[in-house]
Amino acid sequence: MIADFDATRGLTMIPDRVVEVLNGPAIMFVGSRDAGLRPAHTTAVGAVAYEDRQTVTFFVPESRSARLLSNLRDNGRIAFDFGLFSHEAYQLKGVYLSSRPTTDEDLARQEAYRKKLVTAVRQAYPEELARPLVLGLGYHPGIAVTFRVEEVYLQTPGPGAGTKMA
Amino acid sequence: MAAERPDAQPLREQLVQNQKTIDRLNRDLARVSNEVRIIQQISNEITSTLDLDEVLRIVLRAMERVLGFKHSMILLTDLTADRVRVAASLGYEPSGVGAEVAFGEGVIGVVAGRRKLMRVAHVGASVAYFRTVRARLEAAGQVTPGGEVPVLPGLPEAQSQLALPLLVKDRLVGVLVVESPKPNAFDELDEVLLGIVGNQAATAIDNARTYQMVESLSRLKRFFSPQLAEAIVKGGADDPLKTHRREVTVVFLDLRGFTAFAETADPEEVMGVLREYHAEMGKLILAHEGTLERFTGDGMMIFFNDPVPLDDPAERAVRMAVAMRDQVAALTGRWRKRGYDLGLGVGIAQGYATIGAIGFEGRWDYGAIGNVTNLAARLCGEARPGQILLSARVASEVEDLVETQEVGALTLKGFARPVQAFDLLQLKPRA
Amino acid sequence: MATLPEEIKAAMQGVIPSHVVTCAADGTPNATAISQVYYVDPEHVALSHQFFNKTVRNVRENPRALLWVISPLTLDSWDLEVEFDHAETSGPVFEAMDMQIEAIASIVGLKGIFKLKSADIYRVASVTRNVGERIPLSDIVEPRERA
Repeated sequence: MIADFDATRGLTMIPDRVVEVLNGPAIMFVGSRDAGLRPAHTTAVGAVAYEDRQTVTFFVPESRSARLLSNLRDNGRIAFDFGLFSHEAYQLKGVYLSSRPTTDEDLARQEAYRKKLVTAVRQAYPEELARPLVLGLGYHPGIAVTFRVEEVYLQTPGPGAGTKMA
Repeated sequence: MAAERPDAQPLREQLVQNQKTIDRLNRDLARVSNEVRIIQQISNEITSTLDLDEVLRIVLRAMERVLGFKHSMILLTDLTADRVRVAASLGYEPSGVGAEVAFGEGVIGVVAGRRKLMRVAHVGASVAYFRTVRARLEAAGQVTPGGEVPVLPGLPEAQSQLALPLLVKDRLVGVLVVESPKPNAFDELDEVLLGIVGNQAATAIDNARTYQMVESLSRLKRFFSPQLAEAIVKGGADDPLKTHRREVTVVFLDLRGFTAFAETADPEEVMGVLREYHAEMGKLILAHEGTLERFTGDGMMIFFNDPVPLDDPAERAVRMAVAMRDQVAALTGRWRKRGYDLGLGVGIAQGYATIGAIGFEGRWDYGAIGNVTNLAARLCGEARPGQILLSARVASEVEDLVETQEVGALTLKGFARPVQAFDLLQLKPRA
Repeated sequence: MATLPEEIKAAMQGVIPSHVVTCAADGTPNATAISQVYYVDPEHVALSHQFFNKTVRNVRENPRALLWVISPLTLDSWDLEVEFDHAETSGPVFEAMDMQIEAIASIVGLKGIFKLKSADIYRVASVTRNVGERIPLSDIVEPRERA
């Protein structure tokens, strides 16, 4: 279901660096809320930004998707946060467009993402933790959720955290 | 067979659950009882010794043996009361003993400053997070890059740290630290157990340190005035009995005519005179903050500028000598009435001496050796009753203070060339 | 109110960052990572409030928050539905947080720059262990190159 389209909202261009991090070995998760403004959290495993620099698709395990989808169908609001192990992090806020089961292509993307991630995690944590932490993430069967980005925020801790970038 | 009651199954499950809980509690209890028992034993060992190094060794060894802590250290408060210093460690190469941590620096410094326990499960993660913030602050120009980062003792890759303050009543004695290269290595039970050990250790360390101080104090009191001895112990200065070289002003004095007097007079009277003489001379030495190095009957050697450094050692020496001459003049006046003919002779010189403990176990003396002591002694020997002889060096140091008269070059035993000497006449009247 | 299980303490040591999702009064969710959720007691947790950020602003308008924490020991994760209760500027929770910040800040040479504004105390409304978020280790498929 496509949320109400607000023609008055300006087009947002996701900056290059933000796309880079989104494609990089980042930990990512989605915030949503229900009709009673109760927040919910879902871990995402991989994401992709499109050529238009405004549309993003992320993937969540099907077993964890029920609440998220129910929230999105109710109000369509998404907060998508992702960050590297160096703590460089960004948040994309936007509106839900559509969802579908993951395809083979998505799966390939997710496997590439996991491979990158496990290498990066090894820098920060001992092997006994790094490997299961990343490779133990449930990811398929999965749901691909697509949304339109309306705002981009810097989330890296320190001065400027929470600053709107676009 | 009788049918089972309908509620038997859930009851059975409940029993199994309860049993599991009981087993877990028993295991925890056994762990605690065992450790508490051994800790009680440790506390006996600790409180049975007053040797500080021994106490520290016992504590660290016990923590390894009983609690399995492979890396631990004890830092003790410094007399400046704004830092702690590593006094003993186990599991560190190099030992890190002597390293300082200022209050507020790192986990140890914060625990010392706030006097509260702290446990960090993943130092690396926390530090990395703050480093990112620092990088952002530098990028924003709010912090200069390459700022001060303290060098702290401990494992370079420590991930878990548990530090607790060692307190006696509310006074900080030191900090007890355990570390591990693994994250999340310590739990709440470790905090409790370490707390028990820490309490015992704090008291034992405090007692050992106090004992150490008292020992030093009584040892030093043999050589110095009580105030001086205390100042040395409290100041935490290097042990003055350790050999060192210092420029000092040396005063030698003795009572002329004393030998003859001692041979002819009544022993009671001799001791009486000596006692009076020592009492008066002693007062003046204290008043001028001199160090009495030795006295042999009527002879005394006093020097200035060690162990306590002084701005004006030559001046003090000279003032003291003048005061002593006046005092003895008053005393000899009294003694002459009783038939004794005694007079004070003084020699004062200035120069470098080697100073430290000389003697042997059980009979140490604080000695100063050098040309300067010989010179002062020889000048004293040359002095007539009531005369104070100064070396050229001293005379020039105090030329504004006293009136002197050259007595010419004296030939003194042990000196190749004749030595210039000056007779101290009197203090210059103030303008 | 729900009770925090013993095992969750390991997830509250700041070893692996936690996540917090809040929602503004206007319905916009906010998702961000935080270094640590602090265990206060079986029914309360705390977050450190250093800068006035969106999370703080949101819970002052709408007290409900979702905290996701993960244990470095078992890799179990939990969703905690919590509600902002009050902010403390003194007391044992505040002091413990403040000490930790002071210690780590000094290690990276940022002494005195960080001030803990308050320790924000949250009541725990529900605790859900996330089953299905993880694949059993025996089933892990190593990422492979696809033809």
